[in-house]
Amino acid sequence: MMLTSAAQAAPHPALPELAATIAMSCRVRLARNLAGERFPDWATERDRERVLAVVREALSVEAPELRVTPVAGVEEQDRDMLCESHLISKELLERAAGGGVAVAKDGSVCVMVNEEDHLRIQGFAQGLDILGAWRRADALDSGLERHLAYAWSPRLGYLTACPSNVGTGLRAGVMLHLLGLSLLGEIEPVVRGLERMRLLVRGIGGEGSEAAGQIYQVSNMDTLGTDEEGIIRRVTRICSEVVRQEHNARVRLLQETPLVLVDCLARSLSVLQNARLLATAEALEFLSALRLGAAMGLCTRLKVSDVDALILMMQPGHLQKGLGTSMTSDERDEMRAELLSRKVARVKLKC
Amino acid sequence: MKCELCHKADAETAIRREVEGEVQELYVCQGCARQETVSAAPPDVAAEQPVAGGMGTVPLMGMILDAAFEIVGRAMNRAEPACPACGILRHEYRKQSRLGCPACYEAFAKELDAAIFDLHRAAQHVGKVPQRAQALWQRRQLEVRLAQAVKEQRYEEAIALRDELLRLPEPDTSKGGPA
Repeated sequence: MMLTSAAQAAPHPALPELAATIAMSCRVRLARNLAGERFPDWATERDRERVLAVVREALSVEAPELRVTPVAGVEEQDRDMLCESHLISKELLERAAGGGVAVAKDGSVCVMVNEEDHLRIQGFAQGLDILGAWRRADALDSGLERHLAYAWSPRLGYLTACPSNVGTGLRAGVMLHLLGLSLLGEIEPVVRGLERMRLLVRGIGGEGSEAAGQIYQVSNMDTLGTDEEGIIRRVTRICSEVVRQEHNARVRLLQETPLVLVDCLARSLSVLQNARLLATAEALEFLSALRLGAAMGLCTRLKVSDVDALILMMQPGHLQKGLGTSMTSDERDEMRAELLSRKVARVKLKC
Repeated sequence: MKCELCHKADAETAIRREVEGEVQELYVCQGCARQETVSAAPPDVAAEQPVAGGMGTVPLMGMILDAAFEIVGRAMNRAEPACPACGILRHEYRKQSRLGCPACYEAFAKELDAAIFDLHRAAQHVGKVPQRAQALWQRRQLEVRLAQAVKEQRYEEAIALRDELLRLPEPDTSKGGPA
């Protein structure tokens, strides 16, 4: 079969190359709190406003490019866009008074103020470059520490609102696209294995969300007892192994069940090109398949980065912002279908 | 042993009940245990109380336990520890799984330490040390030791601790103090 020979001929790419298509992005988050202040959940509005003012002042000296904006003052569509880009959480959006956000222009660093903790400092990077994401977050954290008295103890480290974050306060997460393993029916043992190794496995939307589009967030469970670089090395090592497993699954799909793969791609492309109404979750499932096709070189005129851009563009906030109007859910489904059919109109399968 | 309530039938089980604000443990017969449970349960639960025996055995056991936990829980709430800094009660942070302030880690250390070990399989921080917070922490520890030394009239040690404190740089507590 043509696909089988293509699989045999395909060279085994190096890890960074694989990571670019399978590991979509990574993030390091540091939870920090100010000494002598109530944690945001138990603080009064005035307490939270005071913390916001203190953090804003520290940021204005240490990182003037990061301007803190109160969440209440951000337009709804912009708030949704920040959330969809995984820069801020839904919990912060729900925080009426005292919630703040500061995002670097290039999106490499973001600070949430008065979310679960007073500060959530986040560094972002592409692929599996968790160390790069950590260095960004760490540099900002060290700078802020010169101006803020963090709640910290020699025994428990950084003191956080929830004891599950105490210690380093560090959560290193990688967004993995694991459709190959899913199509082979092997995703569950992989997820179980990750959980046995004390890693958290969540859906694309973070805590409590489903792995829509077979996109998983994998992060460290333990934050106490291992230093920051040790945590990062461990998450990187394990996620690299998952990336290799996903790559092997994709090769096996081509070799062993090419029809299953091609059927999945053809159906998805067909729906995206012809549907008149598409809900977000539904669209994500089909785009996920197309992403797999693009990563495996099975689609013409389509790169993985194109699909990643579409995954973002078709989300409710991005869609409305892009069209410059507010829409109902039904209207959005219609516009999403139209947008996606236009964007993938010229894409064809090579098989 | 005879039932401590009816003094007729043999005692078969233990119940706890609140008498004048104190929790008493009584050894009672099945009949009295049932009666106690029904009277201790909220009205809507009591209305659904099954007839003893047969299918009613399992729900009855659950109700006995619920009632016991409720009574013990009420008694415990009365002496429930609170964080001296933020005033949060133990059951409040348990409900939300979030603490009130950094000082809660000291206030609820006894049970939190066990929970933290279960969560992380570790009890000691390893990693980044914030210089400013560490300096404030050291100062506070020295101040506590100095006060203790003075109280116990260990003056030589107190002088040494005072000198050590004086050598520390002046703390900047303008944006929060030590945890």
